[in-house]
Amino acid sequence: MVVYNYVFIGLLLLVAVAFAAAPLVVVALVAPRKRSAAKDDTYECGVRTHGETWVRFRIQYYIYAIMFVVFDIETVFLYPWAVSYGGLGTFALVEMVVFLTILGAGLAYAWAKGVLRWA
Amino acid sequence: MIPDEVWRSAVVPVANLQLVELNLQTWIRWALWLAVGFAGIFPGIVAYMVWLERKVAARFQDRIGPNRVGPLGLLQPIADAIKLITKENIVPRSADRIVHLLAPILVLVSAFLVMAVVPFAVGLVPVDLPSGLVYLIAVSSLSPLGIFLAGWSSRNKYSLLGAMRAVAQLVSYEVPQVLATIPVALWAGSLSLVTIFDRQLEFGWNVFSPPGFLAFATFLIAGVAEVNRTPFDLPEAESEIIAGYHTEYTGMRFGLFFLAEYLSVFGVSCVATVLFLGGGTPIPFLEFPVDLLGDSTASLIVVNLILLSVFLLKVLGFIFLMFWIRATLPRMRVDRLMNFAWKYLVPLSILNVFFAAIWYEMVIRPGGLTFGNWLRGTLVTGVLVAAAVYLTFLLNRKLAEAKPLDADWPSVAPATEAAR
Amino acid sequence: MASILFLVIATIGLATALGTVLSRNLVRAGLYLVAFFFAVACLFVLLEAEFLAAIQVLVYIGAVAILLMFGIMLTRDTMGDDTTAIPVGWMVPGLFGGLCVFAVLVVGINNSIAPSGWSPWEGTSSRPSIVKEEAEPGWVAERREAVNDMGRVIGVELMTRYVVPFEVAGLLLTAALVGAIALAHREDPDPKPPRSANRAAGPGAGDGPSTEAEEPVASSVSS
Repeated sequence: MVVYNYVFIGLLLLVAVAFAAAPLVVVALVAPRKRSAAKDDTYECGVRTHGETWVRFRIQYYIYAIMFVVFDIETVFLYPWAVSYGGLGTFALVEMVVFLTILGAGLAYAWAKGVLRWA
Repeated sequence: MIPDEVWRSAVVPVANLQLVELNLQTWIRWALWLAVGFAGIFPGIVAYMVWLERKVAARFQDRIGPNRVGPLGLLQPIADAIKLITKENIVPRSADRIVHLLAPILVLVSAFLVMAVVPFAVGLVPVDLPSGLVYLIAVSSLSPLGIFLAGWSSRNKYSLLGAMRAVAQLVSYEVPQVLATIPVALWAGSLSLVTIFDRQLEFGWNVFSPPGFLAFATFLIAGVAEVNRTPFDLPEAESEIIAGYHTEYTGMRFGLFFLAEYLSVFGVSCVATVLFLGGGTPIPFLEFPVDLLGDSTASLIVVNLILLSVFLLKVLGFIFLMFWIRATLPRMRVDRLMNFAWKYLVPLSILNVFFAAIWYEMVIRPGGLTFGNWLRGTLVTGVLVAAAVYLTFLLNRKLAEAKPLDADWPSVAPATEAAR
Repeated sequence: MASILFLVIATIGLATALGTVLSRNLVRAGLYLVAFFFAVACLFVLLEAEFLAAIQVLVYIGAVAILLMFGIMLTRDTMGDDTTAIPVGWMVPGLFGGLCVFAVLVVGINNSIAPSGWSPWEGTSSRPSIVKEEAEPGWVAERREAVNDMGRVIGVELMTRYVVPFEVAGLLLTAALVGAIALAHREDPDPKPPRSANRAAGPGAGDGPSTEAEEPVASSVSS
């Protein structure tokens, strides 16, 4: 069955996690362990942290994430279209042109509104 | 719906590699790949990539690079690994320990999972997933999450900042990277990497067509950005934000991030080779050496040796290209980086999908590859691609000039600038 | 074999879902949700829908989870530590509502009928074979094609039978994008971090250029 291929993926996942964890286990056994107050502190170029670890994040990050979600789903629709294009006629191309135009209009709107600036 | 003869043949490979039974032969094949891969090849390749990078960067900078540890410094990676393992593992007291441990593992696992579907030669792929391309993209989208968790769990505002910027960059460049693989899937009529490789045997390498070349360039640029290499390495720039998301990672945990980055470079190079450069075939439009494949094991071994060596040479070429770019280009500023992704690469990639459909209609739909078709297709799509690239740059320039304060380029009329 | 695997994955899924709901730390809850998405992807693979599994990982773990994390960073204490308590008056109605939904799902799923008119397959042993065999009913060939080459079959269906939902999905995505931008734009100009008292309180001109030397330092912390 086709799906049995994924047994390998599962196996690979387990082996990869083991491979990633193995050096850490070795480190836990081998590396020295001398704790000190300075070492446990957050690193800020050798200076004590002043102020809270609260940073005001700008909306920019969220905008980029939303754009990414929208275009990611667009590619989710593009893949089946691309794969089935050979067996379908011109109407498939037209439908995809309409779809991409709608999404392109969204991108153009975002661009024109100026939200694609890192500001 | 008329089944197209050309891609009907794409359904045939299903009988060969995709349908597997869980019998002893399969288990042995998988166990062999896992053993060879994890015990030797991937760590070895990554370790010696680091050595190669140091040597190449040194030569670019007129130095020698590591030459003390072993002949030519070849044992340097081993010394580095021992050093990393024997360093103390410092985790900040206020850090979230479990997530702090999980993040590098997630990034490394994502890099490893990419290698599972790459066909190095005929039959040298452990699994041929029918939706291999989507699997590839899905798995490489796990690393931004790992990077975010790394930055968040450190409880360090610089780490968090670096992580958010890194994720914004990775996420922005993932869109053109994925869009650039759409033409490849279109031409092959399948998402399986083995079928894409087979299709390039018939129709030539995907890079030798204008939309394919644009897709290749986009994929490479976006791939360099995805693996955080210069000129896109702002997230881990030492001079900018301490060390970004891996500030609070010491010793081997940092080593895991390092390993993951070089493995991703190798992975992106492998995927670019398979998708655009026809895998291991040495000559673009010929089927050599796959047409030498007979029924005997000897022919299989010979063919695979040729394919594998050519494949590794191409991958090495890409890796050297990335080292070369790193030694040459300065780092991009974050706003220009994001602009480039969303305002240049994404529109171009979307237009490229149309051009790819046009190429398909002109060259692939008729059936076999003929020089006349190829020439006609190249001319038509070449003009379209060149026009699209020119128009995109022109549009951006015009828009930037219209608002001189936010322009990316210095305004042409300095007199108006002086007044502000 | 498949049922054991299903039980394991379903248990993991349930545990992570509970973790999402019960976790105090928001980012940890997001992580449990990611694990739940992964469990759902494994279930898709178990149902022979491997294209959907890849899409699940790509969209949910790769995009939606990151969106969630960014949303948490933006609207909450960045460490995700603030706890929101459920008001006591809501607990019993909430529980009742949840149980009703559960009952509806159980009844609906148990009485569902597969598109081909047969009752749903409960174990892999009763599913029709993927390899062509003699004397198989007509719809088995269709299913075989769908499972073996899922991307293509989905594409064909999207372009022929489901064209209108496909285009409407595009419209929906664009509408979501425009809506998000409209919401975000209201936040413009960005509020600057509080300035020190002995600086001339110049009118913070949004993100216009400023000639004060200290400005870049303050804004570099906020960017």
